[in-house]
Order: sequence, then structure tokens, then C-alpha cells
Amino acid sequence: MRSRARRPALAVVAATVLALPLLALVLRAFADEWRAPALLPQRLGLRGVRVAFGGETGAAFVNSAQVALLTVAIALVIAWPAARVLGERRLRRPGPVFLLLAMPLLIPSYAVGTGLTEWFIRLGLDGTTPGLVAAHLTTVLPYVTLVLLSGFGPRLSAVEEMGSVLGLSPVRRLWLVTIPAAAPTIGAAVLLGFLVSWSDYGASLALGAGRPMLPVVLLPFVGGDPQVAATLTLLFLAPAVAALVLTVRAGRRPL
Amino acid sequence: MSRDGLRCSDLTVAPGGTSPVLRGLALEVTAGSRAALVGPSGAGKTTLLRAIAGLEPLTEGSVLLDGVAIDRLPPHRRKIAVVFQEPRLLGHLAVLDNVALPLRAAGVGRRERRRVAASHLEEVGLSGLAQRRVQGLSGGELQRIALARALTADPLLLLLDEPLGALDPNRRGAMRRLICDVQRDRRLTTVIVTHDRGEAAELGDSIALMLEGRIVQHDEPRALFERPVSAAVARFFGATNLLPDGDAMLAIRPEHVILEEDGELRGRVVEAVYAGDHVRVVADCEGRSVIAHVAPHHAPRAGEEVGITLPDERLWRVPPRDRR
Repeated sequence: MRSRARRPALAVVAATVLALPLLALVLRAFADEWRAPALLPQRLGLRGVRVAFGGETGAAFVNSAQVALLTVAIALVIAWPAARVLGERRLRRPGPVFLLLAMPLLIPSYAVGTGLTEWFIRLGLDGTTPGLVAAHLTTVLPYVTLVLLSGFGPRLSAVEEMGSVLGLSPVRRLWLVTIPAAAPTIGAAVLLGFLVSWSDYGASLALGAGRPMLPVVLLPFVGGDPQVAATLTLLFLAPAVAALVLTVRAGRRPL
Repeated sequence: MSRDGLRCSDLTVAPGGTSPVLRGLALEVTAGSRAALVGPSGAGKTTLLRAIAGLEPLTEGSVLLDGVAIDRLPPHRRKIAVVFQEPRLLGHLAVLDNVALPLRAAGVGRRERRRVAASHLEEVGLSGLAQRRVQGLSGGELQRIALARALTADPLLLLLDEPLGALDPNRRGAMRRLICDVQRDRRLTTVIVTHDRGEAAELGDSIALMLEGRIVQHDEPRALFERPVSAAVARFFGATNLLPDGDAMLAIRPEHVILEEDGELRGRVVEAVYAGDHVRVVADCEGRSVIAHVAPHHAPRAGEEVGITLPDERLWRVPPRDRR
């Protein structure tokens, strides 16, 4: 009983710890004047919003969203069969595959991007959406595969078998059984894949060829103009928070 | 369509390309009857069920259902429903929608499928749970829901894999009666897998014993208990007294052995173990063990000398090895 009573209090503490930095960010974004050592801003205003949205931010937001969504969609298509094969232990020696999956995660994305630059220039892919998507896939694909892998295994195969013997064709089984049953895992994979692509700085900088991407636009302001940096960071966070809410809702549906 | 029931011929199945689990197996189940498939763990019972359902590819052999070869059809076209040992219900659907799933597969409209599903749910005694999610329901309730879902598929053949396995003893009786009732009402050809010989006798119109990937005897329940075709069958069905008789063995069940003062054989009790409704007495009879089940109030004690009678009408002559 005592531990149950403690749960809400712990939840409040955890929520506060998580929310405080966000609150500080909101204050910073709308603080037109905030001189030290004052605890609160002297003057609130929208200078940060005007500056942040005055340049390439709109285009960067669209570019980043477009690349992240395409990357996740393609990663899902590739990772799905890979995760099924690995999850159902159909490979006799999966070790090399796991090593290959881990390699892009061990190498910084800027190094990956730099390594790809020369080839992408030769192929005319630098600064293009397909080029950026291909570069982002090198880091997103392992994450998506590994997350899907956690939900693809004997339990999913078992409910799929159940669907088959109850008369569901493979396509109807996919829509009525597999996807709903694996929804929490798919949601988590989509969220993580989107966030990895959305926040990728290295590959976007190396292969962007001047094309505005949100992390690349944000970074110069971090040292120079904290108010604009805070405003851009809030914009940066918006899709992540939306994706998180959607994923948590999906995650409430157990297999 | 003729009602020939199930006919499996020369089935060989080697899951994952390993050594065969089923080896030239043959099984016939009369239309409208219940066959209990029994055997020790690893005998291949579940593999056989999966092969019939199309979930395990055949290396050789054929499966005919009501005269139609189904072994090349995908699982969803075989008109077979399976109730697995674990109910495999979908957690994101309400109980009623789980039961209605086969009708959704068939493209039946929402109102009609809910009506049909509700009637099947009522048949298994769970209409009160229609709108509940499956989380938090008991093992017995989940198994009944899985049975209702299988009935909703309106199959030609019902396969049940250890349907009582996860239930406590008190709920087994109710589930057993339910399975028998719904099968009898529909005259639905049914195969029930179990590893428990008593359960097999209660559930099956016939029992097929599987040993090492083959059906070694398929007959009415009493025959397997009292007229086993081999020493292995006799042992599995509890006829644990196997006495040499020339080139064969004489089998007799422990409950048919009579301990009496003027018995035709003499023996000394080496063990007497109380087992609730009987005492298991092991007597040494000229160097051979003879096991008898006797009523607790008549049981001799360890060390006592007893007379042993093996009634001729209860003795059954069996070859020492299985016929292959």
C-alpha cells in the first residue's frame, strides 16, 4: 500500500524534472531581454520568433520533415522482412547481420556523410532529397530494424498462424492481425526512426550541399543568439512530442 | 460434398529440414466423430495437428478432408479451425470482436457477424463478457472464447491442441463437457491432442496413440486400455505388468491384479504407496515385480507375503515390440 501511495508523488517528481528544462526553453524563447543575474526575464516578446522564421527555417522544417518521413517509410519497408527473418531465428548464423546493423551506429553520422560525399557528388545525389534519404537510411535503418526485432518473434507468429487457420488470407491477416498486434512496436520504430533522421546533423551537413535542414539551421544560433536557438529548438521538438504522444497511445494496446 | 471425415496417408514431416518428426503416418477419423490423439511429449502430436492445418509443410503424404485433397491448399482455404493450447486472442479487440474475426475474414457485415459471434459466445456460456477486453480473463474463459471463435469459422474439421492443458482440475470437467457437447451438436469431425490417457478416454470416441512419429494403435478407448497391440502401448496406457510368455508378453492392468490369501502365485510386498483412492502395491514374485492397485482398507504392508491371482480373462497377449 505504501509503495502504491508513493507512485503518484514519484510521477509528479519525474514529470517536473522532465518539464523544467522545457519550461526554461519556453522562457528563453520569449525573453526579449533577460540580463544576469535576474531569475526571470525583464521583457517578454516575439523577437526570437521573428528572427527564427525570417530566414530559411520554413524551408528547413519542410525539408527535414520530408526527408525524415521518407526515410522512415523506406526503412520500414526494408527493416520489416529483415526483422522478421532475424526475430523468427530463420538465420543459422545471425551474428554477421547484427554486426552489419551495428556498424553505422558505431560510426558518427558526419563520418558516414563525409565518406558518401564524393560518391554522391559523382552520382548527382548531393543536396537532393533521394541523396539525403539514402544517407539518413544508414543510421535510421539499424534502429528501425532493431526495434522491430523486439516485437517480431514467436508471439507474433502465433497470432498470425491463428489468423491463417481462421480463414484470413495473407493480405487480410496483415491488416487485421499482424499490424494491430505489432502496432506498439511499429509505433516505437517509427518514432525512433523519425527522431534519428529529424535530428541528424552530420549527414545533413556533409551531403546537404547548402540545402537547409533544421539541425543545420539551428546550430549556428546556439552560441550566438540563445533566444533564436530556443525558438528553433521548440520548433525542433514539436514533431518529436507529437510522435511521442501518438506512440504512447499506440503502446497502450498490448499484444 | 461427401462426409468422409479426415484421412491422412503416409505423412512424413521434417520441420525445418531436420530429421522427420512424422514418419509415414496414417490416420483416419470418421466424419462427425472425436478422435483423441495421445502420446508422450515429443511423439509428434502437435506436429501432426499443424501438418493437417497446413502450418507445417509435408515432405510426403496426403491429407483428405471429406474426400477432398487439402494438402496443397494454404491454411486459410482448408476449412479447418484450430484451438491452440494458448488461446492466441487479440488484445486490441473486445471478446465479441475476437470471436467474430473469422466472419470478418469472410466479408460478413458488421451487424451479422456480431449476431453470429454473440450466439457462439452464448453457447460457450460467456455472453456476459462480449464487450470486455481479453486481458484479465481466466485461462478457462480464454479457452472458451477461443473455442467460440473456432466455431464461428464454421469449419469442416476442428483441431484442439491440449485444450485442457492450461486449466486447473476443477475447470477441466466443464471444458471437457463443453467440447463434447458442441462437437456432438454439430457432428463436427474433431481431433483432440492430449498427453493424458485418462483425458483421451474422456474426450475421444476413439483414441490414436502416437509413438515416435507413428500411430501405433487407433481404436475405441477401451481397446487401448485393455487390448493393447504391443508392450509399448500397454505401458503407455498403464498396463504396467508385462510378464514374459514364450516369445510374447502377457499384459495385465494393476487394477485387475487380485491380492488374496489363496492366490495362484506367491509374492512379498516390497512397496505399498497410498495414492488417495487406491494403494499401489509392488510385490516381488519369483524375481519379477507385479503391481496391483488395491482399495486402501485391504492393502497389505511392505514385507508381508501375499497371494497373487492374475485372472485369465484380464490377461492380454502382446508382442514385445511395436508393429511397424
